[in-house]
Amino acid sequence: LNAAPERAPRERVRFLPTPAPGGGGAVELVPARVPVLADHPLVRGPRFRKLKIGAGHRLDVKASGVFVLGIGHGNKLLTDLYNCHLTKVYTVGGLFGKATDDFSDTGNLIEKTTFDHITREKLERILAVIQGTNQKALLMYSNIDMKTQEAYELAVKGLIRPMGKSPPIITAVRCLQFALPEFQLEIHCLHETQQYLRKMVHEIGLELKSSAVCTQVRRIRDGVFTVDDALLRTQWNLQSIQEAIQNCQLKVETELEKTL
Amino acid sequence: RGLCVAAGPPNTRQLREAEEAAPVFQYAGKAARRKDRVFVWGFSFSGALGVPSFVKPDAGWKKPRRIQATPYRLETEEKISSAACGYGFTLLASNTRDITKVWGMGLNKDSQLGFQRSRRDQTKGYEYVLEPSPIPLPLEKPQQTRVLQVSCGRAHSLVLTDSEGVFTMGNNSYGQCGRKVVEDEIYSGSHLIHQLKEFDSRVVQVVCGQDHSLFRTKKGTVYACGWGADGQTGLGHYNITSVPTKLHGDIAGVNIIQVSSYGDCCLAVSDEGDVFGWGNSEYLQLASVTETTQVNVPRHLPFKIGKVKEAACGGTGNIVLTEEGNVFVWGYGILGKGPNLIETAVPEMIPPSLFGWSDFSPDIRVAHVRCGLSQFAALTNRGELFVWGKNLRGCLGTGRMEDQYFPWRVTVPGEVVDVACGVDHMVSMVRSF
Repeated sequence: LNAAPERAPRERVRFLPTPAPGGGGAVELVPARVPVLADHPLVRGPRFRKLKIGAGHRLDVKASGVFVLGIGHGNKLLTDLYNCHLTKVYTVGGLFGKATDDFSDTGNLIEKTTFDHITREKLERILAVIQGTNQKALLMYSNIDMKTQEAYELAVKGLIRPMGKSPPIITAVRCLQFALPEFQLEIHCLHETQQYLRKMVHEIGLELKSSAVCTQVRRIRDGVFTVDDALLRTQWNLQSIQEAIQNCQLKVETELEKTL
Repeated sequence: RGLCVAAGPPNTRQLREAEEAAPVFQYAGKAARRKDRVFVWGFSFSGALGVPSFVKPDAGWKKPRRIQATPYRLETEEKISSAACGYGFTLLASNTRDITKVWGMGLNKDSQLGFQRSRRDQTKGYEYVLEPSPIPLPLEKPQQTRVLQVSCGRAHSLVLTDSEGVFTMGNNSYGQCGRKVVEDEIYSGSHLIHQLKEFDSRVVQVVCGQDHSLFRTKKGTVYACGWGADGQTGLGHYNITSVPTKLHGDIAGVNIIQVSSYGDCCLAVSDEGDVFGWGNSEYLQLASVTETTQVNVPRHLPFKIGKVKEAACGGTGNIVLTEEGNVFVWGYGILGKGPNLIETAVPEMIPPSLFGWSDFSPDIRVAHVRCGLSQFAALTNRGELFVWGKNLRGCLGTGRMEDQYFPWRVTVPGEVVDVACGVDHMVSMVRSF
């Protein structure tokens, strides 16, 4: 970053004494633009010594996926994005037949159960119930008076959303793959943690009269940022970061205007 | 000294072996069947919920529960196939061939639950039945007849069997039981259960209005008896009828596939998807065809909403379900489209997004609609129950005591198969997961 061409040094107008044309003796003051010495690169030093980087929604060690960072002045946009309360999308992979203490497959085994009675229809029924109860929670925590006409109109459009602190709410769940004993779900949620998603997998296992552990949690969308915008480990260089920032700027601005 | 080695953290091989050696538990085998359950909620002091400990607590720490605001499981001996809620009482019927086929609970001041012999005094009957008690029906072949359907009105009830006609019991001051009105008859503690058999073909559906009864036969004709001051018997006059009589008017010759009534207005659906209505129209239920407030002859309601599959009548509002799965409401009261829509004469559609339809799950459809006195209920094909309307004494089951102006999900632990709505309580038949 420091090697990039820098801002031109500030200039100011100074009155410099120059010898007057013609006979010596009298010194005249002539205005001239002169670069300020304090701005000289050798005086000032490299422009960036530290960078302020802020993180968006947390992603814990065992999970993977899109992780939003803000650099410098972008940190202010981070708080605005947090207040937008946009949904995040995860793909969660699970395994039937085991129950562990931290709900993931690397924990201590608590119990093993049979799972051959589980079918895709039963799983989808449970997912429908989860969606239903979370829909109710969505309406309740959004703090809108249910008796008003605007509450009804927002509910019809599906725009009711908790705009403050709330417990984790799942707005939509879908089963992507089902091959006993493994299955994969796509979950759209708000205000959640990855451990909550693993607990959800465990509870799905309990509802189906068996047990389940979570093998994989991957965030594929965080508000406006999707996997396509994300940079891989190999792409962590200045050029791609700057391109990515420019691509996302427009999206972030439109989203903020729409919500606030 | 080398003989004992400290255990240390288990390495991966030991962990794997321990895991494989762990016992496997089986909670549900291959033959695990989904169980059928009954959930009740609403006002309990009339005994209509069937849980005696709500009214008379049997343990010292229990307090009387006036209103059960969320679904509560009711233990029944048999699988209940049909339920009906009346005005303060409930009937549950099962499809079995056993001797007890119908159970009743709640108000019994007009013997609408038959004669329930009191244990304290063998000659008198109970006026409030707090637990589902069997109703003795005078069947000729009790071990072969099956009860198909039950229906309850304000103070009378009807039981439909497959081969022995219709049994009626309860108040008969307007002839709603289908027998001649006896002056100054005392209905409380009465043993009389009347049997109706003379119809042109087998009766397939019975519906109770507030003080009248409707019978639909296999041929598609409708019979009515009972109070007619609002024209709800549809027989062309405003007098009471004590014998079931065939209806004419716009439904003569039309094959009717469903009839519905709960208050004083009646709706019928034909096999071609047309809606016919008669009865009370003070709340604009039939205002699309006539300005009069009482219609005593069935009239065709020319709604252009598509082919109608099912209709339900409430006290002041009506609801229909079309073949595409859309729900239309009209009438007066809390209709389900926000607090601004109080009355309308023309059916208004409720947006499907309120029932859970979205781009994410586009195949959700409303499968059934039911009506209480001032509430509506809708069942989706995924087994979810949505209710809206006036929350009288907690009958909506949402857990809150406020009225609900748009469809709201009721959390029931299971897939809801059917629901029966009453004035201040509801009963649902649910299959567990």
